[in-house]
Amino acid sequence: MALDHAMPVLIVDDYKTMLRIIRNLLKQIGFEDVDEAADGSEALGKMRDRRYGLVISDWNMEPMTGIELLREVRADEKLNRTPFIMVTAESKTENVIAAKKAGVNNYIVKPFNADTLKAKINAVFGE
Amino acid sequence: MAAPFDRVRAYVDQKREGEASFGDVVALAEITADSMQAFFASIDTAIYKELRDIADYITRMRSEIALLQAGELQADRLPRAGEHLGAIVVATEEATNAIMECAEDILAAAGADDATFRSVVNDKVMAIFEACSFQDLTGQRIARVIETLEHIEKRVGRFAAAVNPGGETEAVAEDARERRARELLLNGPQDRGVAIAQDDIDALMAK
Repeated sequence: MALDHAMPVLIVDDYKTMLRIIRNLLKQIGFEDVDEAADGSEALGKMRDRRYGLVISDWNMEPMTGIELLREVRADEKLNRTPFIMVTAESKTENVIAAKKAGVNNYIVKPFNADTLKAKINAVFGE
Repeated sequence: MAAPFDRVRAYVDQKREGEASFGDVVALAEITADSMQAFFASIDTAIYKELRDIADYITRMRSEIALLQAGELQADRLPRAGEHLGAIVVATEEATNAIMECAEDILAAAGADDATFRSVVNDKVMAIFEACSFQDLTGQRIARVIETLEHIEKRVGRFAAAVNPGGETEAVAEDARERRARELLLNGPQDRGVAIAQDDIDALMAK
């Protein structure tokens, strides 16, 4: 899948500030079409309404966490090919392993910067 | 406790073979009465000691519970700690938003002429410095919350030691929130040294 900066990106985080930070970083990288969701269930609803080129999700949210969202996405044949990057403060090895097992495309630990985000997005799209 | 009745048993054994006379019955009654008296005396002493121990324990618990100052914790310290934490959330959110607004304004002014851009940058950088002053206040508030936690830890530790001097602990049942956190690996941010670095994550992802 080629990287297309015009593709819609869904960012999922329960902290509005974090959503704003990621939105601004994506804007710097060149992504303008960015939607937001406050947890996994809201994100899943949005993903079923609109086809996103990339999902960037936090892990620790309520009621549906990022890992649950990832598992739901990978279990849904209409959504399961959507690239998924986890951006989280969960920095234990077991979290990374669980996310990888669930089918995450990349994993970024907070705090992070625009270069890291850009590098991981590029890596997901093989750039 | 068996000792008081040994005399009765010995007397009955001795008389088992022959016929019992009135004198034997009286003698047996006397021995039984003596034995029962000794038995009840020993029970009284044991029960008295037990009750005394229970009373001492209750008295000790009352003073330990009083030292917990649960009323003060509930009415004063915990609500204040909660207010501090709430204020920290608000202060950090306000500061972050203020800083981000400044950054967005600077970015937006990029197309302006040099003089305007310089002016915007100066104003916004000053506003960022001002917004960063939140750290001083939140630091003080966090120190108060830590103080409260230490206060609780000290008192609960003392109470636990008084209730359970041997230090044996009973497993506390896991509640729904804890179970959710365990099952969904909600570990939260890790301390430095424990947290896995981005390079290590990249290596894990590449395997």
